[in-house]
Amino acid sequence: MVERTRTPLLTMRGITKRYKAVEALVDVNFEVHAHEVVALVGDNGAGKSTLAKVVAGVVVPDSGLVEIDGEPVSIPSPKAAQRLGVATVFQDLALCDNLDVTANLFLGREMRNAGVMQDGRMENIARSVLRDLSSRIPSVRTPLSHLSAGQRQSVAIARTLLGSPRIVVLDEPTAALSVAHTAEVLTHIERLREMGLGVILISHNMNDVRAVSDRIEVLRHGRNNGSFDAQRSSYEEIIGAITGAWQMAPASRASAPADREAAGR
Amino acid sequence: MSRRAASAGSQSSLREANKALVVTTVQRYGGLTQVELAAATGLSAATVSTIVRDLLAAGVVDTAVTTRSGRRAQMVTLARRVGLAVGIQIGHRHLRVVLGDFAHEVVAEQSLPLPHEHRSDTSLDRAALLVVDLLERIGSELDEVVGIGVGVPAPVDTSTGMVSVPGVFRGWEGEHLARVLDKRLGRPVHVDNDANLGALAESTLGAARGYRDAVYVRASYGTGAGIVINSRVHRGFAGTAGEIGHVQVDPQGHICRCGSRGCLDTVVGSAALLEPLRASHGPLTLRDVVARASGGDPGTAQVVADAGATIGAVVAGLGMAVNPQCVVVGGELAETGEVLLRPMRDAIRRRVLLNQIAPLEVVPAELGARAEVMGALVLALQSADVPVRVDDVGDLEPAEPAQVGDRRDRDDQDDQEDRRAAVG
Repeated sequence: MVERTRTPLLTMRGITKRYKAVEALVDVNFEVHAHEVVALVGDNGAGKSTLAKVVAGVVVPDSGLVEIDGEPVSIPSPKAAQRLGVATVFQDLALCDNLDVTANLFLGREMRNAGVMQDGRMENIARSVLRDLSSRIPSVRTPLSHLSAGQRQSVAIARTLLGSPRIVVLDEPTAALSVAHTAEVLTHIERLREMGLGVILISHNMNDVRAVSDRIEVLRHGRNNGSFDAQRSSYEEIIGAITGAWQMAPASRASAPADREAAGR
Repeated sequence: MSRRAASAGSQSSLREANKALVVTTVQRYGGLTQVELAAATGLSAATVSTIVRDLLAAGVVDTAVTTRSGRRAQMVTLARRVGLAVGIQIGHRHLRVVLGDFAHEVVAEQSLPLPHEHRSDTSLDRAALLVVDLLERIGSELDEVVGIGVGVPAPVDTSTGMVSVPGVFRGWEGEHLARVLDKRLGRPVHVDNDANLGALAESTLGAARGYRDAVYVRASYGTGAGIVINSRVHRGFAGTAGEIGHVQVDPQGHICRCGSRGCLDTVVGSAALLEPLRASHGPLTLRDVVARASGGDPGTAQVVADAGATIGAVVAGLGMAVNPQCVVVGGELAETGEVLLRPMRDAIRRRVLLNQIAPLEVVPAELGARAEVMGALVLALQSADVPVRVDDVGDLEPAEPAQVGDRRDRDDQDDQEDRRAAVG
């Protein structure tokens, strides 16, 4: 439906993953372009997280084709994903409470010069990454235990940026956040998009999804069940696709509802 | 009328009235030096100085040393204990909330992306929760909030706080917005059109400060204008004054949401701007267009420039009706700077009668993207029922006699009475 002339950053075709008798993903197609936020929505167990794990290199699909920049690749491990420019923030965030913001950002990839940690340089980079995200964290020396849930999410997102990724996968980034913190995280997502990254957003919250996504991909029982332009589709249509009230025609991908004369005010 | 009767009585009641005038002026501008206060109120510098001293002793105002043109000056602001106000701007794709004090100093701010065609119930809920979250962030509570100003991208009947024209802001009609928010937050709520609020903010704090007659143009997802006449926002009978988005520019054009044909918004609204870019640039958002046009991308810049010229032609008509001293341009498209402004300025100047006194200025909003939400804050502050009435501070009136025979004061007093009467 959404036509783009350029090669997608990430293309997934016919991704299938079975766990014994359970079909987690069946012949799923998925695309992300640079400068685009694609939301992955669906009911519990629809396969959203499994698909995210395939992108992150945590789960290897039984069959299917993954392309990055049009080149076929395999993502056998998280390290491989990182090398290919895919960064993932999982729900548990994997942060260390006892360390400060900078230490968390550089966890496992500390900058050293002849074995000595370059604290000053890391702090500078930490500040600039947080500024890029327009984050509200007061000091990069604050221990994580002093930060709110929203600020932790900011740190987790900022950490992905250090590897200069091209694709960022966010798994339920606004779950259990207050409105103010949700606002911050959604603003971060807008920033990631403006920085030209491809963002995959997994969320249950239809408001958040529709606020920042360009495109919404619905999964149902491990299969694609519609692709919606976030600016043209209604809340009800998307919910309908999630519940199965609306079934995707087998031959064609979802088509947008009739163009609306969306004259501003 | 009762005030006039009172002021006719004695010198001390005159002094009371002057004191109230100083307080309302400080409230209006947020912070003023004593010299500026004298200029704004028309009182003599000595009178202002005495009144400020009394108000300071009464704890109504605070003073701080500042510099103006390299000279030391006393900045007068309302004491912070007077409270906080909340400004909320509800846009087509964003919700913005600011907390500010009487000096218009923003103490907390947050914006939240909203879905396309978001609905009033969810968005107002989120706005209310965001206000509470922000208050928590600065260690304050709802009790301290004197009022809440809300801007919406549609004409508003300010007496009821309802959107007054059907169709233009889907999902928000028939809703008593002020009452809904009041129920959630329990503070006085004042609702107005966003362009009117932009006009209010720019004429109080921004680029139109110092001009009596000005027009604020908001070029965003839709287009609107706020009209300032004699330093007051002119809203019109049903709040639709300045709705330039619904001026017909193309008699053969598309049907607009409002029901008529070929409105300005059908030509320069976000949908109309994005559609011609689809083939060459792919699907973009309005923010993408602004970013790219600002970055020098020719295709998007062309779209923005054409919009500037089209809007300019309509603003010129408004300019003929109002004869403003300046046109201030805000909204997302104005973030492209001269890309939008130059063709708009050309179009306006080509059509507006030249006068020999001063050229019509067409300038960008000084408050930028914040203009509307700051206007909401200003609205809340100006409508606030602050305990600074003469009666409240009168007790602390020192015993010294009023400046007998200060003709200047008396004349000014009369002026102010006239002004007040004119204002209603």
